[in-house]
Amino acid sequence: MQAAGKTKGAIIIGLLPAILIYSVFAILPIIQSFYYSVMEWNGFSEMSFVGLANFQALFQDGLFWNSVKNNIYVVLASVLGQVPIALFIALLLNRKLKGLKIFRTIGFLPVVLSTVVISLTWSLIYNSENGLINELLRMVGLGGLAQNWLGDTNWSMIAVCVTVIWQFVGLYLIIFLAALQNVPEEVLEAARIDGASEWTTTWKVTVPMIWDTIIVAIILCIAGSLKTFDLIYVMTNGGPSHSTDVMALYMFNETFSQLQYGYGSAVSVVIFFFSLILIFIVTKLLGRKML
Amino acid sequence: METTVKTSTGSQIERRKSRKKPGWKRLMIYIVLILFAIVNAYPIIWMVINSFKSESEFAVNQFGFPREFVLENYQNAWEIANFGVLFKNSIFICVAATVITVLIGALASYFLSRFSFKMNKFIYTFFIFGMLIPIHATLVPMFILMRNLGLLNTPITLLFPYIAFHLPITIFILTSFMKAFPKDIEESAIMDGCGIFRIFWSIVLPMSRPALATVVILNFIYNWNEFSFALVLINDPAFQTLPLGLANFAGQFTTNYGAQMAGLTMSLIPIIAIYLMLEKEIVKGMTAGAVKG
Repeated sequence: MQAAGKTKGAIIIGLLPAILIYSVFAILPIIQSFYYSVMEWNGFSEMSFVGLANFQALFQDGLFWNSVKNNIYVVLASVLGQVPIALFIALLLNRKLKGLKIFRTIGFLPVVLSTVVISLTWSLIYNSENGLINELLRMVGLGGLAQNWLGDTNWSMIAVCVTVIWQFVGLYLIIFLAALQNVPEEVLEAARIDGASEWTTTWKVTVPMIWDTIIVAIILCIAGSLKTFDLIYVMTNGGPSHSTDVMALYMFNETFSQLQYGYGSAVSVVIFFFSLILIFIVTKLLGRKML
Repeated sequence: METTVKTSTGSQIERRKSRKKPGWKRLMIYIVLILFAIVNAYPIIWMVINSFKSESEFAVNQFGFPREFVLENYQNAWEIANFGVLFKNSIFICVAATVITVLIGALASYFLSRFSFKMNKFIYTFFIFGMLIPIHATLVPMFILMRNLGLLNTPITLLFPYIAFHLPITIFILTSFMKAFPKDIEESAIMDGCGIFRIFWSIVLPMSRPALATVVILNFIYNWNEFSFALVLINDPAFQTLPLGLANFAGQFTTNYGAQMAGLTMSLIPIIAIYLMLEKEIVKGMTAGAVKG
């Protein structure tokens, strides 16, 4: 269109509200966190410049590395749990089945629920006294296996990861189903005519044809599970004895319960780069563009 | 669940007659799928059913239907957790944030998709970058920023981060949709003497209805479920949203399982109702929101 002066004015007016609110409330906090990260500040008294001392302290804190380790654990559990389960169910669903729609509806249901609702529901399920799992175990005579799932350091992380996997399998299931439905019928028919079994067709034809989607799903899964904060905050708040602590929780507790705003900002800078770099590496490794 | 089992055996008999494909294979597939469905749905069903049981019944009969429906849990949850206020706050924040995000997002998308100017590409990339920002990394700086602005604990506090962080996906979806419109729409409109904003409001916006539906649903669900910003920015009970109120309630009354389940069920109902009504759009929106390109 003609770039007359009037048009230029309209463009500015039209873009301004979005740019303004996005810059102030999404970009500015990140920039500010760089500034606060080199300060010592309890949030109330004067700030004092401490250089990289916050980062130094952070990298020497065993609890921080523990939270990094747990974060990676959650990411691995999500990728290795969600993607294969979703793919398996999607392959089963990708045929003429009665009740297909019902399975899809139920499959996607957890994805639309609030993380808080899911965390609280699963906390009740894991409850050591009369949670669903222990009751089930007792009912089938395996009461000896009943555990304090969220309160035992041996089980807490596994319990949390099961919930994380449960929450998002449906998302990848639907993504895979959509991709599978785009695989041309003729290709599969040709494989069948050549005498390939369903097993071979699946592994040699179907899966390679949706490989791109599988890679997207893996990247999504990593990005999504890196963000885990609210689920664990509600279920265990990082406990017992830091066994489920992840980076964002570490940051939250260091900042707000110990009133170390400078230190907390340093952690947030580290999380920011950690997430960006990890996603960058993964997208590069899997041969895709990041933006 | 029972109806699915019935239809499955029904189709199997049909299959056996029509094709030589072994029926046991289909049966196995159904068994796996039904197991998956049970694992997916039972936790929610279990919770909803037990929310109607008295404390003493919950202790002895977890799996059956309630012998008598007790609404006491609901009364407790409603009164103690102040559910009325939570609902009101959640609806207000959710609707206001969604409307504003979609409106200013659509306006920005209109200019980004329909006009060529020098900074166009840069501004678009600037917005899309927002999809990469790990939100949890901004919790502390967001708290400090909002405190400096005097915006902690107000009825509109949550609007700012919710709008800011959902603009990128909104603009991404709307821009790619609006780009596909033919060029001559505006040209003929301009011939008729329509102004630029007039074209946006009465031509481009109505034409974008399918994409608008997607972003409205996406924004609504994200805002309705959001917890982290609410946790950090709000502690006045008068302005808490449902997820925050629920988490606080469960934290305070850890052993009042009945009331917890009642509260959870109440907050589930609207979202499940919307999901069942708009399933197709929601699934489309949320997968598009996740895959984003």
